[in-house]
Amino acid sequence: MTAPGSIFDLGYQRYVGPRQGRLAVAISLLLHTLRSAYGIGRGGRAKVVPFGLLILAVAPALLAVGIRALATQAGAGDAFDEASPIRHDTYQGLTSTLVMLFCAAQAPELFGRDQRYGVLPLYFSRVLTRADYAVARLAGLFLAVLVVCLLPQLVLTVGGVLAATDPATGLAGEAADIPRAVAISVLAAGLLGGVAAVVAAWTPRRAYATAGIIAVFIIPPIVVGIIAARALGDVAGPLILASPGDILDGANAAIFGTFPDSPAVAAADIDGWIYVVAAAVGVVATLGIVLRRYQRISV
Amino acid sequence: MPLLSTHELTKRYPGGVTALDRLTLDLETGIIGLVGANGAGKSTLLRILLGLLPATSGGATVLGFDARTEGSALRRLVGYMPESDCLPPDVSATDFVSHMGRLSGLPAAAARERAAEVLRHVGLYEERYRPIGGYSTGMKQRVKLAQALVHDPRLLLLDEPTNGLDPAGRDEMLTLVRRTGTEFGIAVIVASHLLGEIERVSDFLVAVDGGRLIQAAPLGTFTERTGVLAVEVEDGAEALTARLTERGLTARTSGRLVLVDLDDERPWDVVRDAVADLDLPLVRIEQRRRGLEELFR
Repeated sequence: MTAPGSIFDLGYQRYVGPRQGRLAVAISLLLHTLRSAYGIGRGGRAKVVPFGLLILAVAPALLAVGIRALATQAGAGDAFDEASPIRHDTYQGLTSTLVMLFCAAQAPELFGRDQRYGVLPLYFSRVLTRADYAVARLAGLFLAVLVVCLLPQLVLTVGGVLAATDPATGLAGEAADIPRAVAISVLAAGLLGGVAAVVAAWTPRRAYATAGIIAVFIIPPIVVGIIAARALGDVAGPLILASPGDILDGANAAIFGTFPDSPAVAAADIDGWIYVVAAAVGVVATLGIVLRRYQRISV
Repeated sequence: MPLLSTHELTKRYPGGVTALDRLTLDLETGIIGLVGANGAGKSTLLRILLGLLPATSGGATVLGFDARTEGSALRRLVGYMPESDCLPPDVSATDFVSHMGRLSGLPAAAARERAAEVLRHVGLYEERYRPIGGYSTGMKQRVKLAQALVHDPRLLLLDEPTNGLDPAGRDEMLTLVRRTGTEFGIAVIVASHLLGEIERVSDFLVAVDGGRLIQAAPLGTFTERTGVLAVEVEDGAEALTARLTERGLTARTSGRLVLVDLDDERPWDVVRDAVADLDLPLVRIEQRRRGLEELFR
């Protein structure tokens, strides 16, 4: 006879359930990376920076949509549209600094942490290959950054549709900008996330990695700016393709058919689509470099 | 199917260090002790078996999978506890072990359940919800063992599992390793530089030195009885030796010990009678065993 509430040692139970393959495990790591990028599953303090930056990135779009709604009620909707600086084609320029800060803050968390604490042997002694690990981590960071780039664009789109006299007209007005916004957001998330991942994968120490990423983002445009200011236009032209921020500014202008924000890009006299190609090449190159890093890292 | 076989496995590191030198092994399932001094090639062997490190030449098969070409399928069925620190400080043991379970291919719900179960098995209870950073070394070693067990592997590779533990912690870890091997039917390869520990947990022993195989045999054959009877007396060892020689035995003195060759049962009675006749203070009579330490002489 055993007393009610007795605790039984059932011994060790064998696991007889299903075991997932590489793809499912890689997706699971990707989603874990995406959650980690926003501090989900970690302490409250880990959420402050990513969510803070996301809110700052979305705030102008919310503000614009709100004011647009008020303006429409007052019969000045079209006038507002003409005057507002917060549009699909300007948003990349408005938030690029925030996106860079997001990358600088979160990429070291996703790439340096496993190296810093020696966790890589545990990953590499499981189902995933080294390449699977690198791709899953990079894709997770890409999606996390994409949210920062794309969410405000989505807010603008929804706001534009709702503010129109009827949704169909509104959607027609937004239709042309949706693929453009997606294109520039994908390029921005891919390039900035990729560059940040390259630095972070080589720099296990968090503070150094963050400083390094910021340096890679801000030093090239300064150098390009100085060279451009000395009217060495021929040199500054190709050099501008070493500056991730300027590449995206040029690509944004090409995609939306507008003028670039950066004076250096305006002065460089390079065909707009070169920037788009440069950004795409940058995405592929950073993927290659990160893959190579994890193939060779010794654990 | 053999648990593990290697053929002429060789690893040379850049710089000319040969960590493994044409190691050929065939092991059946059980608890296998891999013993050797630091730098003997134990960790290198484990890492090659997992596919973490490519061999320079030769090959290895684990659980029927080729370690080089079928690494992913193989690693699904193997649990690995590295020697080094490998735990992030800012997550709880539950979250970490469950995450590791998912990475071994367990679905989310199963990973959580298994994490709770293996943490209980290794003896972590309420503390498993706290961040690992605040754990003692003993608790961290338990988490390392738990993450190796979470996916219910068929083979566990443990690299120096008692590293950094105090004597009580060592005892507990060795008991856990022994239980895991015997009660759960999981094959275990445990690497250690401490012969005494290996002796306590394993059934089979593989000794390596300088990357070469010294011996691979069941533990019993290393410690089998030898044909020497050791008689320890408080004093009078010389007199006893003389008396035994007189009676036709081959005896020699070694400090307080008298060593008598044992070819049949007769010396036991002769020694008893001689000690009684001389009225010597007898401490013990025992048949000598070969010590594991002799391996490395």
